[in-house]
Amino acid sequence: MTHAFGRTRVLCVIGAATLLITCANTQRLSAQSDEGLQIFGSMQTVFFHQESELTIEGEGLSPWSGTETRNSFAMQQLDLFLRKEMGDDFTAFVDLEFQLNYSSEARWGSLSLQEAWMNYHVSDAFNVKTGLLFPAFNRLNEIKNRLALLPYLFRPLIYERLLSQKFYAEDFVPEHAFIQLYGSIPIGDFFADYAVYTGNAEASYITRQDSRGGIETDINPNFEFLSGVDPTEFKLKLFGGRLGLRTRDENVAFGVSMTHDYNNLRDTTRYPSYTLSRSARQLLGSDAPRIRIGADLAFRHGPLFFETELIKVLYDYERAERLKLEIEQSFAHGMVGYDIFPALTAYVSVQWGDYTFGIDSDYYVYSFGSAYRVNDAITAKAQLIMYEEGYEEEGVTESAFSHDVTIKFVFLGFSILL
Amino acid sequence: MNQLFRISALLAFLAVGVFQAQAQTVVIVNASVPSSTFSVEEVMDVYTLNKTHWDNGARVTVFDLKEGQAKRAFYEYIGMTEDDLQRIWLRKQFTGRARPPHSLSNETELVERVGKTPGGIGYASESAVRGKKNVRIIARLKGAP
Repeated sequence: MTHAFGRTRVLCVIGAATLLITCANTQRLSAQSDEGLQIFGSMQTVFFHQESELTIEGEGLSPWSGTETRNSFAMQQLDLFLRKEMGDDFTAFVDLEFQLNYSSEARWGSLSLQEAWMNYHVSDAFNVKTGLLFPAFNRLNEIKNRLALLPYLFRPLIYERLLSQKFYAEDFVPEHAFIQLYGSIPIGDFFADYAVYTGNAEASYITRQDSRGGIETDINPNFEFLSGVDPTEFKLKLFGGRLGLRTRDENVAFGVSMTHDYNNLRDTTRYPSYTLSRSARQLLGSDAPRIRIGADLAFRHGPLFFETELIKVLYDYERAERLKLEIEQSFAHGMVGYDIFPALTAYVSVQWGDYTFGIDSDYYVYSFGSAYRVNDAITAKAQLIMYEEGYEEEGVTESAFSHDVTIKFVFLGFSILL
Repeated sequence: MNQLFRISALLAFLAVGVFQAQAQTVVIVNASVPSSTFSVEEVMDVYTLNKTHWDNGARVTVFDLKEGQAKRAFYEYIGMTEDDLQRIWLRKQFTGRARPPHSLSNETELVERVGKTPGGIGYASESAVRGKKNVRIIARLKGAP
């Protein structure tokens, strides 16, 4: 059964690649001259103040608590976009991202290629996008790093790169894909959107360079080739898609999304010991098949707008079932905003995340803030955030233990279009 | 006295009529664009960048005005506000899906650019379009002054 499924996936990928090559060969590039390379971008600068409090309680332990305060200025993120129209049918797009005061000399932050793709437009109802791309999953995934489009400074938990050591976005959403077929079909007052895509296995499967210059891989220690390649077989690749409906004026939009791939449980560095029960540790060192399901809704009525998304990650994993171990992740995010006047927006948002891996970890974020458009290119933003996390092992206790963290953030910053 | 009132009323009526004729806003396309008439929904799809190519496969190039009566009339015609469109354009630009419209300062320049750009579309007062070659009127704004 598994082999048959694997073969079907191989055929799907080969079919899609063949389609792309065929389409590309049957259309010649138009000689129409275009406007050359378009260069644009955005950057966001922040000042943040953080107050953290950690409390640990457990059987046989004296309660412990500690606090920490931190203040920092940062060039949070700078994105440079390059776009080029090549004839009537082809478009290329690149997103180069600099994070957190990037300096290779001082080893600060990061520089990364977030997207680099080519789009082949057959019709508005059918496009083929290929290369490194953000796949369609809910409404936020494709713009998760487009800070200038978002009223807030601190993104929803799973997307926020300042928390990337704590939350792996790929545990909830597909971070990248490599080929996507998509389009929009007008139906009365609506557009129906669809997208299907495939790509590499999740990032932790992909080979990387170790500190001595060798190649590390979690699944095949003999695989020595290049860093940044995915040595997994087809059954571990990402497959997914989204179906959506939106009004022609784009004031109401909703959709459902789904992916299938595997979680790499060999990568033990991702799971701090206090988030894993003893039985959960027996799962480490394997591939856990999972399905990520998403739903999104956004509407705007005059100055009032609302956005929400839900994500549920389900595991179809026999080893976990045998151990009667619950593993799943969930995330929900909702934001209500109001344009007090055209240049000033205020909003409140609530988020909830759940990460159950034997031990039940819950995360809550309450936030409110405002964005003031100084002019067409500059927006001043302010945001107050209350972040809470707690860990609890239900039932009996191998390590009856609870751990709570509360963090208050104040973010002030500017978002600037380049 | 009665006759004077009637003449004044007639002159006022004619003046309003002349003003309306001068300020009638029209949607224009480059002569290369295949369709001859467009519904308001189709024009809105073009300006929300949902329709990026014409039926002959040519890329749509959208022109917009920075300000003015024609702009106000056109936005009212498609039922969108400037903020609505700016938000949509920015999202489509930043996701690489489309290029936002070229924003021009005056109607004369807009009509000229539409005429010179294959696949071009824009809007202007009918008086600014009259006698121009290489552009075709595809819609007259109903109810607009």
